[in-house]
Amino acid sequence: MLKVFKYTLIDLARNRFVLGYALLMLLVAQGLFVLEGDPTKALLSLVQVVMALVPLIALVFTVVYMYDTLEFTQLLAVQPIRRSAILGGQLLALAAALLLAQAIGLGLPLLVHSPTVAALVLSLSGSVLVLVFAALGALIALKQREKARGVGVALAIWFLFVLVYDALLMWGMFTLSDYPIEPFVVPLAGINPIDLARIMVMLQVDLAAMMGYSGAIYKNFFGSVGGTFAAALILALWVAVPVLFAFRVFRQKDL
Amino acid sequence: MRELLILLLACLNVAHVDARTWRYRSGDGASLQTVINGTAAGDTVLVEGTVSEGSIRVDRPLVLLGGADAVIDGGGENDALLITADHVTVKGFTIRGSRRSNLDDMSGIKVNECRGVVIADNFIDKCFFAIYLSGVKDALIEGNTVLGEPGEEDHMANGIHLWKCSKATIRNNRIEHHRDGIYFEFVTDSHITGNTSLHNLRYGLHFMFSHRDAYEDNHFEDNGAGVAVMFSKEIAMRRNRFLANRGASAYGLLLKEINDGEIEDNTFQDNTTGIMIDGCNRINVRDNEFRLNGWALRLFANALDCDFQGNTFAGNTFDVSTNGSLIPNTMSGNYWDRYAGYDLDRDGHGDVPHRPLGFFTLLVEMQPYAMVFSRSLFVSLLDRAERLIPSLTPESMKDDRPLMRPPVRKSQAVAVVNKRLFPRSAFVFFHPSFFNQAGMGQNEKWRTPEHSVVLGHPCIFPLGGLQNTHG
Repeated sequence: MLKVFKYTLIDLARNRFVLGYALLMLLVAQGLFVLEGDPTKALLSLVQVVMALVPLIALVFTVVYMYDTLEFTQLLAVQPIRRSAILGGQLLALAAALLLAQAIGLGLPLLVHSPTVAALVLSLSGSVLVLVFAALGALIALKQREKARGVGVALAIWFLFVLVYDALLMWGMFTLSDYPIEPFVVPLAGINPIDLARIMVMLQVDLAAMMGYSGAIYKNFFGSVGGTFAAALILALWVAVPVLFAFRVFRQKDL
Repeated sequence: MRELLILLLACLNVAHVDARTWRYRSGDGASLQTVINGTAAGDTVLVEGTVSEGSIRVDRPLVLLGGADAVIDGGGENDALLITADHVTVKGFTIRGSRRSNLDDMSGIKVNECRGVVIADNFIDKCFFAIYLSGVKDALIEGNTVLGEPGEEDHMANGIHLWKCSKATIRNNRIEHHRDGIYFEFVTDSHITGNTSLHNLRYGLHFMFSHRDAYEDNHFEDNGAGVAVMFSKEIAMRRNRFLANRGASAYGLLLKEINDGEIEDNTFQDNTTGIMIDGCNRINVRDNEFRLNGWALRLFANALDCDFQGNTFAGNTFDVSTNGSLIPNTMSGNYWDRYAGYDLDRDGHGDVPHRPLGFFTLLVEMQPYAMVFSRSLFVSLLDRAERLIPSLTPESMKDDRPLMRPPVRKSQAVAVVNKRLFPRSAFVFFHPSFFNQAGMGQNEKWRTPEHSVVLGHPCIFPLGGLQNTHG
């Protein structure tokens, strides 16, 4: 597995897309901090960028990369290596490359311009989002034979998590506002990994508002130690479950 | 010969040093009350040691000076010290042990129906009311430290409490852990300056039916609400700092039924709500700074002719919210960090109006749980659409001349940028000034962080990096 990891990582290091991702994030983050002047405001803008862009890139890149390396994977599969080792090595290398790119593109500007707890939470949430969506991307790529179809599904899933889910949730909130929806809003907001990551960041940057009446319900849950563990658990599940499914699919797949 | 006499008298504990100065050392001999009863108007009594003989009553013009470790302990009987005469000065004491009673308003120092009282440099330790003035004119309360006990609201009373007073001056006191830090009811023509009011259960400062008062340069932090001004006229509020008043009904400044107030050059930071304005008329809100609040301004639709000018709104979750559609108030020449317009004629004011009331603000107003969507892509799209084609947000809620840059404030809080994890020199490339030198950034020289250390220019602090160092 380590050999597969190593060679995949070397391949990824030469991949222009990963380098491009690091540069893009660096440009966006650095640009925001320089043009905005106010690090606080730049951080807030960056939150939106990270919550939309990071899942998209992690998802699409993983899907595309899995298709592109299919021949190499086939070559590996005829060697006396266990299939789980092949996929494990590849996924680890993908995660490592994306996280490294993100550390350079996002982590570094944050560290330089705004070394605060909020920035730390933002880069951690961003990293977790990378893992979640890389895992989802791997599963999609293994499930769909056709590349175009796979990318299409990936885009649809991204769209679902970043926009449609929120829209539906908000529509539900307003339609059912006469009913006691309180027990449902916290779990429903917490299921979507992007929403969950955003709430974690919000508890830092919008703390004053979250202490008010409207934010209290979220603050009381996610702001507590138990809530933080629950959030971490949910995010871990979002990584673990797709990865497990991916292994299952890969083991039985006719390459 | 005179020294010998002094020595002799000192042995008796009560020394008649001078015709008008009495020295009292607690322990044995006469009680302080007897000494006071023996003085003439205008005398000075210097007290040393712990006096615990119950309530002390001062009924003639005296100067009570606390010497080394001077303590007046009321022993939980009534008021620790009761003053009923004009021109009494109480200075340098530790006062404790008043009875706790909501029925009789027992307090550490109670002053009734007199004028010219001076209460200075005392430490008032866990009293029910700490300093209580009723019907007093020309009082001076200065440099006292008032510490209460955290508890339930029912069992707590106010730190400095004034009832039916006029021309009082309350200066440089520090009040913690009371119900209200400073409480004014029917108090006119008074000044509250340079006080620090922290961790009070209800309000840092509370006005009821008090007119023509001013409070300036005070610091209110972590109170139930910073300051509540209710049913009062002509209150001036300048250069105060309202910090970290957080909670469901917590406000930096709560205004209810106020007429003709001046709110100038204050700082509101980290509050759930910066200013809440309910049923007020003719309030001028000028040159204040609202930073990192949940709601910077809650302006109820029953407010009339309030004017907002030269304020800075930055980093707030919501800048303005309201509960109606008719906004008979004016906003002009404020700086909004959300403003996305342009300034073609370069007069420093944006050419298109700014609408501070976002669509999302209204959504949260209608459905509080929608708060969870703050800063999501979905909400920012909705907000953008609403700004282009306003349909739900009130038409009249707008700033026609928004500032392009935050105004430099008259009084700048000296602020320190928090220490960075790594020296900046390691990241020259990332530094905004690198781009300035290269002519790439929009920042002017004075906005670079090095300069910001000296004066808190409001645009460059990292989140949570603001530490005010002046009291």
